[in-house]
Amino acid sequence: MLALGLASCDSKEEILYQQYVVEGRVLYQTHCANCHQENGSGLKDLYPAISQPALWKSLNTDELTCLIKWGRKGTKGYMPGNTKLQALDIAEIQTFLREQWGPQKAIYSLDSTRFALKKCETTL
Amino acid sequence: MCSKSLFAAILLCFFGLLSCQEKHDLPFLGPKTLNATGDTVYHQIPPFRFLNQDSTWVTEKDMEGKIYVADFFFTTCPTICPKMKTQLLRIYERYAANDVVRILSHSIDPEFDQVSVLKNYANKLHIEAPRWNLLTGDKKAIYAIGQKSYMVAAQEDSNEVGGFVHSGAFILVDKNRHVRGIYDGTKEEDVNHLIEDMEKLLGNK
Ligand code: HEC
Repeated sequence: MLALGLASCDSKEEILYQQYVVEGRVLYQTHCANCHQENGSGLKDLYPAISQPALWKSLNTDELTCLIKWGRKGTKGYMPGNTKLQALDIAEIQTFLREQWGPQKAIYSLDSTRFALKKCETTL
Repeated sequence: MCSKSLFAAILLCFFGLLSCQEKHDLPFLGPKTLNATGDTVYHQIPPFRFLNQDSTWVTEKDMEGKIYVADFFFTTCPTICPKMKTQLLRIYERYAANDVVRILSHSIDPEFDQVSVLKNYANKLHIEAPRWNLLTGDKKAIYAIGQKSYMVAAQEDSNEVGGFVHSGAFILVDKNRHVRGIYDGTKEEDVNHLIEDMEKLLGNK
């Protein structure tokens, strides 16, 4: 993983990707790790684990953007929204989550985040 | 070579023993007063009465002969509470077979955190009373005992995320309801100290 990252460091996208991951990690630790824990294992039945590969196969990233921004009262409990987080913050968190647990280790772009945020605002 | 390492080993043993024998007694925290006969009277948690997740009253009488850890939280708290609960779980699990140890978690949002809400939270955390009591009750009484007796911040503040300001403190209380230590419940290392101090109070050290 590391070797791959270093080898392709010359490409601009790769640098941006690494930057998103690093900033996303910090944001994750501040806004998410309290509940889901640093390693994504969750806390008993109170806060769900978010590290299982199966979850990431079925997860819709646009919905996740809305979940991060606006929160949800679902079957597993209540996740508060993070209304102060901006599109860039969310893009970085999403990229970090993918890098950790997602099937595709790729950037979640700012444009995708903005687009997703528009959609959830209109459905609210 | 060999004798050197032997020497080192002896030195290590020596210091090891020293530090074991040295008895660090825990302090008595809070204001002290003198009674009529001139003896020091230590700050003591006053009588209290709150409802737990099983809708049972918990009072200071239930803490007779127990040492306990007290904290303040609310079930919808998005910030430090989950961290505190992770750390309290360590204590709960460590002393699973020890009936002398109790945990009292007071809700600072008792209007929302009714018994049924606390019950649901307890179930999801897989914890049970009487070893770990989640407490609700009169808001003024909870804030008063938090500020005056346990000496930690607990109040409403609409500027805070979640609507309350409160400290992440864990308060260690001995069998006579004296406060013997205050720790940062969001930090693993600090909770390690708490566990060491609990061992001392239990006479294991
Ligand atoms: C206060 C605790 C808390 C915080 C903080 C929190 N979550 Fe959650 N999260 C939850 C709860 C509870 C659920 C379940 C919600 C439901 O039942 O729909 C959840 C659900 C999720 C899910 C879906 C899991 C599944 O099984 O469907 C993901 C992914 C997730 N959170 C990511 C995050 C991210 C990213 C952050 C930080 C921006 C975050 N959470 C912050 C409590 C929290």
